[in-house]
Parts: sequence; C-alpha cells; structure tokens
Amino acid sequence: MFHIARFFLGGVFIYASYDKIINPDDFARIVFNYQILPHNLVNLAAIILPWIELIVGFCLIIGWWIPGAVVIVTALLIVFISASLFNLARGLDVHCGCFSAGVLETTSARLSILRDTFFLAVSFFLIYMVFWVKKKSGFQSVEFRG
Amino acid sequence: MVMSENKKKIWILALRQGLSLIVISVAIALTVNQFRPGGINIVSDWSVEARFKSADDALMVISFEEAGKLFELQEATFIDARSEEQYHQGHIKGALSLPWQSVNDYFIEIADQLDPNKPIITYCDGETCELSHELAVFLKDMGFDNSRVLVNGWSLWLKAGLPVASDSGADNG
Repeated sequence: MFHIARFFLGGVFIYASYDKIINPDDFARIVFNYQILPHNLVNLAAIILPWIELIVGFCLIIGWWIPGAVVIVTALLIVFISASLFNLARGLDVHCGCFSAGVLETTSARLSILRDTFFLAVSFFLIYMVFWVKKKSGFQSVEFRG
Repeated sequence: MVMSENKKKIWILALRQGLSLIVISVAIALTVNQFRPGGINIVSDWSVEARFKSADDALMVISFEEAGKLFELQEATFIDARSEEQYHQGHIKGALSLPWQSVNDYFIEIADQLDPNKPIITYCDGETCELSHELAVFLKDMGFDNSRVLVNGWSLWLKAGLPVASDSGADNG
C-alpha cells in the first residue's frame, strides 16, 4: 500500500511538472493570474516550481530521500489548495494550471481543489507511514542514508 | 509529549533532505532556464501594457476613450469574453457573448454576426482578466485582424455610466 501510494503520487507530480517545464512562459502567466505572488517573484516561481515537482516525484518513485520528498509534496499540496481556496473565496476564476500550462485546461476551481485534497490525503498517508510506521514501510532501507 | 530520539532524528533527516531537494531543484531550474531555448527572464514586467501584446508585438490594447468613441459611432463590435451567466447579468449594450471557456462552440454561433471590416473590441472584468486578451488573439488568428482588448472593460464601462443591457431586456443609458 505504501509503495502504491508513493508510486501514484510520484507519477502525479512528474506528470504535473512536464508541461510546465516545456512551456515556462505559459505557466508564468498562470502563476501571475493567481494574483498572489508579487510580480517580481512570478517568473522565478514559474521556473522553479515545476522542477521541484519533477524531482520530488522522481524521489518518490525511485525511493531516494523519501522522508524529505514526502514533506515537500505535502507542503506543496497545502500551498496549492490554499491558493485555489483563496482565489475561489475572493471570486477570482483562474485556470488552475495543475497539470498543464495551457490556458484551455477547463477543470473548475472546485474540482481541482477536490482532486488536490485527495492527493493531500495520500501524502498524509505517506507521512504517517514514513514517520510513524516506518518499520513496515520498507523505510529501513533509507533510514540511515544521507 | 516527548518525541523519541528516533522520531526526532527522522524529522531532522526529512527537513535536511527537503531543503537539499529544494536547493537542487533551484539550481537545476535556473541552469536549465538559462541555457534552454524558450527560457524566460527571472524577473519580467507584468504591467498591463507589457502583458497585452500580441505575438507580432502590436499593442492590442484599445484605450477606454477610443472604445467609447467607436461605441458612440457604432463602428465597432463589442464581444463579452466572460461566462454566459455574467453576460446575462449585464453587458455592454449591443455586445455579443463569446465566453472564452467554450470559445469553439460559441464562435460558430456568432461568427456570421462579425464584420471583418469592423474593429472588434473584446472585454472582460478586472485588470488582470486574461479572457479578453486570449479571445482577441484567437479572433486575430481567425482572420479578424482588427481585434483589440479593452482592459478591465466591464468595470470601466459601468463606472463611466455608459449604456449597458441585461437579460431582463431593460436597457439603460
């Protein structure tokens, strides 16, 4: 179960990063549309964020540095959900930019929040497994690394 | 609650790994962005004027004054890029509805009402609303070369008290 969860979430994050890395300018526009970051940080976030997603996704799948990767994945999901909720609450309709940088991605805000909440539940499960049930999780292989 | 020595160790380990992963990601991201084709500036200008340029760099924004003049002379077609619901609640008088969210469906419906020789002015609501801009670029691609964007159109129009219409049919102004 632990392995299924980490493969799944790792896959989701790698898949999510792909289009944003290919089209940084489109993704920057989406970050800008969220109207949360100051203008000076928009491009920086658009450049860096997809790479974090890609690398933690790989870590989850390959099994390297799982504790660190799981913490980042959880933090990212919380940030994504908060940003979407914040914009939903103030009535701003932005393209979530969750899985692609395309402007025509049509998932509604509510749906993307629901989906991210599901991913968050999976990542909480991983946190639980890694930090509380580590013996059963196959974690022993990474426990004393790095 | 006292954390066991082991538990503390693993949280510290996790934080150290997490920070390292971020540092590695930042380094890779910046390096790749620097050397790849299509990389973007680390900081760029997100002001209204800088954002609303079409691919050929022609300034696509139409000033409010100019748009108002064209409206008065009935020399432009106004297109509302917001959702159909918002359009029904209120729109610039005489404007057509072409919600960007389902542009392909709606475009076929209104295409024959568009005059390619007349300027087209797209609008939505809010300074950062991108719908009208995307729509204008789309219309340009469709051959309506004279497509412009009225930034923050709906709010400005209301504020200026210019003629609007709503679903109830009650026009005012």
